Amino acid sequence: MKRLDRRPDPPLRSDVERELGFHLEMRVRELVAQGVPPDEARRRAMQQFGDYEGSERECADIDARVERRASRLSFVRELWQDLGYAVRVLRRSPGFTLVAVLTLALGIGANSAIFSVVNGVLLASLPYRDAGHLYRVRTVYPDGTPYALSAPDFMSVREDTRVFDRVEAYSTAALTMTGSGEPRELQAGRISDGLPALLGWQMAIGQGFDRGHFAPGGGDVLILDHGFWQRAFGAAPDVIGRTVTIAGRPAVIAGVLQAGSRLPPALDAYAPLEYNDTFSASAASGRRSEFLAVIGHAKDDVAAPAIERDLQRIGASLQAAYKPTNDGLTFGAIPLAETIVGDVRTPLLVLLGAVGFVLLVACANVASLLLARASSRQDELAIRAALGAGRGRLVRQLVTEALVLGLTGGALGLLVAYAGTTALVAARPADIPRLDTIALDLNVVLFTLAVSLVTGLVFGIAPALQATGRVLRGAVRQGARSGGATSSEHRLRGALVIVEMALAVVLLTGAGLLVRSFVAMTQVAPGFRVDQAMTFRIALQGTGYQAPPQLRARIDEIETALRSLPGVTSAGVSTVLPLSGRGSMLGFSVEGAPPPPANVNAEIAVASASAGYFTAIGATLQRGRAFTPHDTADTPPVAVINQAGARHWFGIDEPIGRLVNVNGVRIQVVGVVADVLQRDPSQPAMPQLFVPYTQRPARSVRIVVRGSGDVMAQLPAIRALLQRIDPTLPVLAARPLADLVTDSVARPRFYTALLVLFAAVALALAAIGIFGVMSYAVSQRAREISIRMALGASTGAILRRIVGQGLTLAGAGAFVGIASAMALGRVIQGQLFGVPLLDPLTIATVVAVLMTSAAAATFLPARRAAKLDPAGALR
Amino acid sequence: MGTAGSANADILKGTLDVLILKALSGGPAHGYTIATWIASASGDALALGEGTLYPALHRLEARGWVRSRWGTSANNRQAKFYTLTRKGETQLTLETRRWQRYAAALFSALAAPAPGASGTDR
Repeated sequence: MKRLDRRPDPPLRSDVERELGFHLEMRVRELVAQGVPPDEARRRAMQQFGDYEGSERECADIDARVERRASRLSFVRELWQDLGYAVRVLRRSPGFTLVAVLTLALGIGANSAIFSVVNGVLLASLPYRDAGHLYRVRTVYPDGTPYALSAPDFMSVREDTRVFDRVEAYSTAALTMTGSGEPRELQAGRISDGLPALLGWQMAIGQGFDRGHFAPGGGDVLILDHGFWQRAFGAAPDVIGRTVTIAGRPAVIAGVLQAGSRLPPALDAYAPLEYNDTFSASAASGRRSEFLAVIGHAKDDVAAPAIERDLQRIGASLQAAYKPTNDGLTFGAIPLAETIVGDVRTPLLVLLGAVGFVLLVACANVASLLLARASSRQDELAIRAALGAGRGRLVRQLVTEALVLGLTGGALGLLVAYAGTTALVAARPADIPRLDTIALDLNVVLFTLAVSLVTGLVFGIAPALQATGRVLRGAVRQGARSGGATSSEHRLRGALVIVEMALAVVLLTGAGLLVRSFVAMTQVAPGFRVDQAMTFRIALQGTGYQAPPQLRARIDEIETALRSLPGVTSAGVSTVLPLSGRGSMLGFSVEGAPPPPANVNAEIAVASASAGYFTAIGATLQRGRAFTPHDTADTPPVAVINQAGARHWFGIDEPIGRLVNVNGVRIQVVGVVADVLQRDPSQPAMPQLFVPYTQRPARSVRIVVRGSGDVMAQLPAIRALLQRIDPTLPVLAARPLADLVTDSVARPRFYTALLVLFAAVALALAAIGIFGVMSYAVSQRAREISIRMALGASTGAILRRIVGQGLTLAGAGAFVGIASAMALGRVIQGQLFGVPLLDPLTIATVVAVLMTSAAAATFLPARRAAKLDPAGALR
Repeated sequence: MGTAGSANADILKGTLDVLILKALSGGPAHGYTIATWIASASGDALALGEGTLYPALHRLEARGWVRSRWGTSANNRQAKFYTLTRKGETQLTLETRRWQRYAAALFSALAAPAPGASGTDR
């Protein structure tokens, strides 16, 4: 009723109010016509109407809903319009579109390729049930070195832990399998009873192990890895129950694993762990025989720090209970995934960052192109603005065009990524783990989509704002014909060039430092002669090699026979080759020297070598003598120590003639040999002790054959020779000795090559960018330049002026880039070897390369400017 | 009018939509005309007040059964006129048939002899 009395201005009332008001008005009018007094008529009309406010609200709600739906529809319709328009516009200038799309496809594709590697190697979870709860448990020596666990320590951890609900273990060994075709070496694992369930293994065929197989004497069974079953047995379905001979002992095949069921290192076959007397939490002996890889499954809501604390608690209690063996030792744990990819994480992330920089440079280039295009599209934008398109609408249109470019580039980029990952995997970059899991999966596609959209926004927004801002400031008034660029556009494009140059400098610096490191690594003297020698491995296993005398006799026979081959000058045998490790870590002390403090790892790496080994490998004997055929099992034990060992254990004293104690055996040092590289060239040599093979025989040995000319050509003769001596002995891993060096730097070579590639692409893009900007500037300022020339400026002066401007931009970019590279340098510091982060040579080279490229890219437009006709100014 | 039985009101509220469609089947009309027609044709459909007509009209418009536009009424005032759309016509036909079937079924049920009134086994 109040509303009727108020009688507000009709235009100010809503449609609903007007509609309802009309109804009431009609009713009142009718009642009044029937003779009802107006006041009474209004009261009756309201009463008859019922809930006025409720109706009004309900009508307004319905209308609002309808309106929201309509606006959603119109947004979609406008988006379609924008898209259609964008596609038409882009098709009208195919040259621009092609350059932009290809630039983006390269940039995005490279990112997707590297991401697919990161995705497969770093992000994809381990193929285990509950992989996030799995930890690798390790013995930690006082100096922080992690080791495997001994059987008693494993049992102690298993029984005493409060953070793991299951603790399992395995050991690995290379064994020879006979009884099924050719003798074949296989990588075998002995696993604890609960390991298959812990890792969620599934059998493809057969039953696998049962409890009885882990009882004493029940362990002569085998389950096969799926891949090994296919390789060695041709995927025969009837292998179950077959008996093969493993290291001379018969074993029955009890099952074949499904394809994904495997240990972190994929092995060929698995046997039950033999639980002997040392598998006891109360065993006092055997605690320093560390051969078990231990995996713990954390209870729910137990975090890494709690696990670390609990393991240290167990370590402390063992230190107290078993002081002679466990003094100073404790345990630690790291996530299982980290043990597999730990040392490739940083390099891969660096590569991902680097390729991201390449994409940023590509973005800057496309943004610069868009800016140039926007000023030539000024008329079109001005007309659309005049026809009533607001700035928001114009920005949306231009950004839609950028997104169309980005998405098209991304779609093509997927092809680039496919080619790139195929090439990467085919290049087999050294020992990067889990390369087989790399694929263009959904994650990679989603990544590419996201990168394409973000890319489109990154290079699209600034030019869109810039172009539309100018239109709104009255480009039409300015006279659309000239299409002149404003100073703010010049500034923006100049800034883009500086950014590009800076990004290229960062990549160039990183690549330069890695190249210098790589060169430094390859220049490290290996300590042995790599040329004209080859190596292979044999494994003496089975019934013919039960006792040490049989091993000694056979190795002597082989070595002598090899030396008698024509073209072979020397041959030798060792358990550890250079660049392949150091040897077994054994307890060590020097007689007559004060005992080292308890918390120092009193161990030395011990390798066995035959009398001919040092000659065959070309290592230099520094003092004393090498082994001779007179050093036999029956003569007093002798040893040759490496330089690093002599320095570490004897200091300036003379080691020759001294007695040392190796695991309780007294040995006399008779010689000092020069250090050889042990792991890779970036790691310094560690103390190493060589003992005669006759005095410490081993089953798996490396044989080195040195000859004249191409030693690898001798391989068939060598095979035939070994076949004559023992038909069950396979020649394994035969390759030139030089491969040891090549392989040891394969990973840094791979990273370096990729980073150099990325830096080169970035530099090329940046050069194209500065070329584009300077060309554009010259065309914009043709009139000014002509006037200068008409006023007497020489051709040289014009050239200098233009090139100088380009170099100013490049110089600013170089400055910013070097500063950023220094700030970012930390991330690759760990990869550097023999070169400081602030390497003057690298920085100088990078700056020189950049300035030269910039000068070259600027020279063409500058020459065009210099050739302008001075008369042009008059027209 | 405001004292209509609640049971009737519930049933007839559901019929309001079809009555509106019927009212518009004769040609465009504004709310007041429709309300007057419904009141004369079926006293109880607007038992909760004439105001309930308007949300129903807006709902029908949102569904696309009627269309509206502002026009001038017979007494020269601005009024909102509703027209039946093609969709609305179809809906009216469907609803009419449904109500006829319902009424026929109910009628024959009411005409049949009740169970147990006199020996059903004869």
